[in-house]
Amino acid sequence: MKKILFLILLFCPALVFSQPMEGRIRYLVTRNSAKMMASLDYMSKQSRERMSYMWGNRSEWKTYNNLYFTADQTKYEDSEEKAEPDAEGGYSWRKEQFFLKRDFAKSTIYDGRTLMSKPYIVEDTIANQKWRILNDLKEVAGHICMNAMMVDTLRKQKIVAWFAQDLQHSGGPESFHGLPGMILEVDINDGAMTLTADLIEMKKLANELDAPAKVKGKKIKQVDYDKIIKEQIKQRMAEEQPWFWNVPYI
Amino acid sequence: MSKQLKTRYSQHFFKKTFFKQLFIENSHHSNINKTDSSVCILLKQYLHTLLTELLLMKRSLGLWIMLLAVNIVFAQNPAKVTIKGSVVDTANMPAPYPTVMLLNPTDSSLINFTRADEKGGFEFKNVRNVPYLLKISLISYQPRQMLLPAHEKEVNDLGNVPIKPISLELMEVVIRTAKSTLSIHGDTIEYDASTFKVPPGSTVEDLLRRLPGIEVDADGNIKSQGKDVNKVYIDGKTFFGDDPKAATKNLGAETISKVQVFNEKSEQAKLTGVDDGQKNKVMNLELKAEYKKGAFGKITGALGDQDRWAARGNYNRFNTKEQFSIIGFGNNINQTGVNWEDYGEFKGQNAYNDFDSGDFGFNSGSGMRFFYSEGGGLTSYFDGRGFTKNFGGGANYNFDNGKKSKLNASYTYNQTDLNLDEYSFRQTFLLDTSFFNNDTLNRGEFRNNHILNGRLEQNLDSNNVLIVKANARISNQDAGSSQSQFFSNSLEKANNRLSTDNDSNRDTWALTSSLIFRHRFKKKGRSFAFSAAFNQNQNDLDERFTTINRFFTANTFTDQIRQLNRDNNGSDEVKSSILYTDALSKKWFWETFYNFSQSTSQNQRRVSDPELNDQLIENLSLFSDNKLLYNRLGSGIRYSHEGVNLSVGLAALQYNLHGEFSRDEDQPLVAPAVDRTFTHVTPNFSADIELLSNLSVNTSYSYSVVAPRFNDLRPVTTFNNPAFRSEGNPNLDPELSHNLSAGMYFWDPASLSSMGLSMDYAIKESQIVYNQVIQSDDELGILSITRPENVSGGRELSSYLWMNRPIIKTKLSLSVNGSLRFSKNPAFVNGVENETKSDGGNISMSLSATPNPKLIFSLTGDFNLTNISYSIQESQNQKIRNTGIDGNLKYQFAKKMFLETNLDYNIFRNDRFDFKQDIPIWNASVRRIIGKANKIEMRLAAFDLLNKRLTINQNGSANYVERRISNTLARYFMLSLSYNVRGYENKLKKNNYW
Repeated sequence: MKKILFLILLFCPALVFSQPMEGRIRYLVTRNSAKMMASLDYMSKQSRERMSYMWGNRSEWKTYNNLYFTADQTKYEDSEEKAEPDAEGGYSWRKEQFFLKRDFAKSTIYDGRTLMSKPYIVEDTIANQKWRILNDLKEVAGHICMNAMMVDTLRKQKIVAWFAQDLQHSGGPESFHGLPGMILEVDINDGAMTLTADLIEMKKLANELDAPAKVKGKKIKQVDYDKIIKEQIKQRMAEEQPWFWNVPYI
Repeated sequence: MSKQLKTRYSQHFFKKTFFKQLFIENSHHSNINKTDSSVCILLKQYLHTLLTELLLMKRSLGLWIMLLAVNIVFAQNPAKVTIKGSVVDTANMPAPYPTVMLLNPTDSSLINFTRADEKGGFEFKNVRNVPYLLKISLISYQPRQMLLPAHEKEVNDLGNVPIKPISLELMEVVIRTAKSTLSIHGDTIEYDASTFKVPPGSTVEDLLRRLPGIEVDADGNIKSQGKDVNKVYIDGKTFFGDDPKAATKNLGAETISKVQVFNEKSEQAKLTGVDDGQKNKVMNLELKAEYKKGAFGKITGALGDQDRWAARGNYNRFNTKEQFSIIGFGNNINQTGVNWEDYGEFKGQNAYNDFDSGDFGFNSGSGMRFFYSEGGGLTSYFDGRGFTKNFGGGANYNFDNGKKSKLNASYTYNQTDLNLDEYSFRQTFLLDTSFFNNDTLNRGEFRNNHILNGRLEQNLDSNNVLIVKANARISNQDAGSSQSQFFSNSLEKANNRLSTDNDSNRDTWALTSSLIFRHRFKKKGRSFAFSAAFNQNQNDLDERFTTINRFFTANTFTDQIRQLNRDNNGSDEVKSSILYTDALSKKWFWETFYNFSQSTSQNQRRVSDPELNDQLIENLSLFSDNKLLYNRLGSGIRYSHEGVNLSVGLAALQYNLHGEFSRDEDQPLVAPAVDRTFTHVTPNFSADIELLSNLSVNTSYSYSVVAPRFNDLRPVTTFNNPAFRSEGNPNLDPELSHNLSAGMYFWDPASLSSMGLSMDYAIKESQIVYNQVIQSDDELGILSITRPENVSGGRELSSYLWMNRPIIKTKLSLSVNGSLRFSKNPAFVNGVENETKSDGGNISMSLSATPNPKLIFSLTGDFNLTNISYSIQESQNQKIRNTGIDGNLKYQFAKKMFLETNLDYNIFRNDRFDFKQDIPIWNASVRRIIGKANKIEMRLAAFDLLNKRLTINQNGSANYVERRISNTLARYFMLSLSYNVRGYENKLKKNNYW
């Protein structure tokens, strides 16, 4: 028996190496509106400095998001868990449609999004993201990660991602993907928004990868979705108002 | 020409001549033999290596293009290549399962990646045959990168590719324990030393002893990975000569942000550029960019005609944890405080406070996250009447370390010297007659406030928070006023004149303090909160009264009264609240609260006669000793889920009032003590629902119970002015009302339009009103006696509507605001019920345009109408109309020159009295920003160019209608000079919100 097992192990190296790539990653999402403001170069320096002086630490808020994954699929959505205990009399906001599904085998995306109060369904193929691989190592949620960087030209954001050396997967939180390991941390514009994995559960998934029963909205392509955002950012720039109150920061 | 350019140029030249030769050779020998071609390959390889080496160093696009060109020219390379190899460790043993990446050598962008097998073997099949940067990454090993030129054969076998391990210590201690980032630059591994904790006051040496891979012996000699470190740089520079210990023994550990250890080429190698293989271990200590600190501030001085002047300034210093600021102002142009923008910067991170009221339960406003902190005395509002001279200032300190503690402390002072002349006209209606007052008031007043404020928030741990806050205020008000009241029975003929001179001095001390403790249980949604508060008030007033009453009618005589009043009022209040919240499920919550408060107050009014040795005038003096006890117990359930927030609850409350009234302290009671107990049950309901993601509605109901005030319960009559007497009523009941509200809010994020509507309706089941008995009096002319009594039937409705909508995106927008108010308030006049109805509305429309960034203008129209009707004398019904038009223009007419002007035209009308007054106010200013950094601003401003300013108030209620006209600061000119450390913005400001 042992011999057979040994032979199986010998001939199927994948088995030796791989643990089942299936489970959930919980990301702690931190948004800092003072830092978001700080990177809007079209706003006056005075008003940005004023905002960060008066709001500083207060401008930070935290939520949890979940990424469910199997070997070649992922689904990213808001978590019901609360990252910040709210005061008595906690108010519950209406939920907006938000889930991002990726199938890396078929190279497809299927996203339910809400943009300016309107639901949309984005269906497209996975586009390549131009990551630059850098030279730093650090640990995130028990995994040693390497870092990579890219620039989002639409929103003018510098994105630094940390991907696990030992979790072979092309997925990641939000719409970040395409690195040799699972993306466990993302930093946008030097801390304006950070997504950090704080819990990784390897487990068999039930139906977590399924899209919600009701998916609403107009079906559009990724370029069309980006076009709406581009138009909004342009308008807000003309008005010298922050654009991220109207459209998602990423 | 820079060195780099030179190199590039010579490369270019070399390539060009080489190509030329090659071309010539090729044309001469149409058949290139094999030797030639192998020369070509060798040459190409040489070029490749040269260029790629340069590329690795410089990463310039030019070189990349050249490399490409070389490949194109030597097009003998196969189009596709298979790259393979085996990753091994330093002992030549296979390194299993590394990730192997192909990067673009120009910018390290990822092109392809694979996972090697268990023997470290990897293969990229049939990839484009271009240069790559091959990168190997494996856990516990240093990432290795190597440059691969385009290959001349179809298979590029790299053979064994060794990778170096990262020492276990670095992995475990630096990455896992200290959570530090390892940066790898070639052979250098750098980590963030600031994540290693050392006790305060430690030296760099103490820090180094803790760093893995570094040893420090007893003498302070440093070794890194077993090798001596014989040089220490600080920020890349030599520190105190060559002794490495000089730096490590003297520098404080807290000043260091990074420790790097690397191999330095020998001096010889640096000089010649030829690597002689001799390497020294060198350490570099990178200094912290110290706390991110800064300072800003501005100062303004202004002088005007008629001795007008103004000055103000503020200065702020801050670092990542602390903010300190000072502010000051002074002027004689009716600026009683600083504007909100300056005050916000003064308070810094405490400009907005978390809502932390300790009064838990219904109507305590919980759920609101932020509110503007009180302006203290610094933002005190000027009501537009009179002339003032003002001074104020303060200091503020904030501390916030981001996690555990937040502290705010501030002190502010302000003073105002007021000089007011006011004329007022008033008609009072009786059953079938009315009488008139034509009054003039001259008042001089000096008031000042010292305010001390502190708040500490301490997170004891992640589940327990403690908030302690206190606010103390010391105020003084010294005033002298003389009022002359003409009473007449008709508009033409005066009846009598009552002149009152009053000198008063009031000292006030007020303290509010509270402590709030919140605890969260392990179970989600279960929490407990406790609060305790102590408030104290002391209010001492000395008044010196002289009244002269002069009659113009037949039986003329003059009556003079002089009296001294001394009021000493003090109260202490102790409060406490408890709140317990539990989650019944994910969506349902249950909460229970208890509020308790006890306040004791002593109010003393001593009236004495200065003409009789300040003897106490007993029938005007009063001493009261009061105690109010309040208990409330309530409970409710709440539903919160995805935009639906409902709550319903019930509370029982009880007021116990005990009041003892005597003529003076230690004197017998004038009447039996007032002892009243009121018990009520109050329901409460609220709903807040987001119907759509851009439409929300809310509604609420509450029942309010307000206990009568002790002053209204007193069993005796008091007066200051003999013509106006006020009685008390020990049998008063609380004010009870049903309050309903509803509202909705809609917005369209795409067009940036929004709309809102809100409505409040109060049904007054019981209301305390001051019923009047007005009669002719032989001695006084007209005598008014008021007495508080409970009446029912009062109603109040107010509604508010607003809308914003861009008409042309980013260029022209419209906003509309409107309100409607209806109120019905009954009161008895000489025993007959008079119902005063006041129905009013207001609408304001504003257009604002920004045709280009250098021009902004807006036009606002505002119309107010109030209809007042009196059931006892319908002929006296009033229509009061105020209309205003306001035009505003901002124009940047030159590079650093701005023109700002506005015209505010106000029309006041009351047809019943044929009252008409138009007040146009026109202001204009020109300013210029000076200096390279735009730090200086010069402004010439003209206020009220038409010299028309007057303050007019028109209102009517109960059984009177009133109009007050006060003079105030009219036309003046001012030249001001300002200096701003941060510089002024050299463009028009579109938004004032940020």
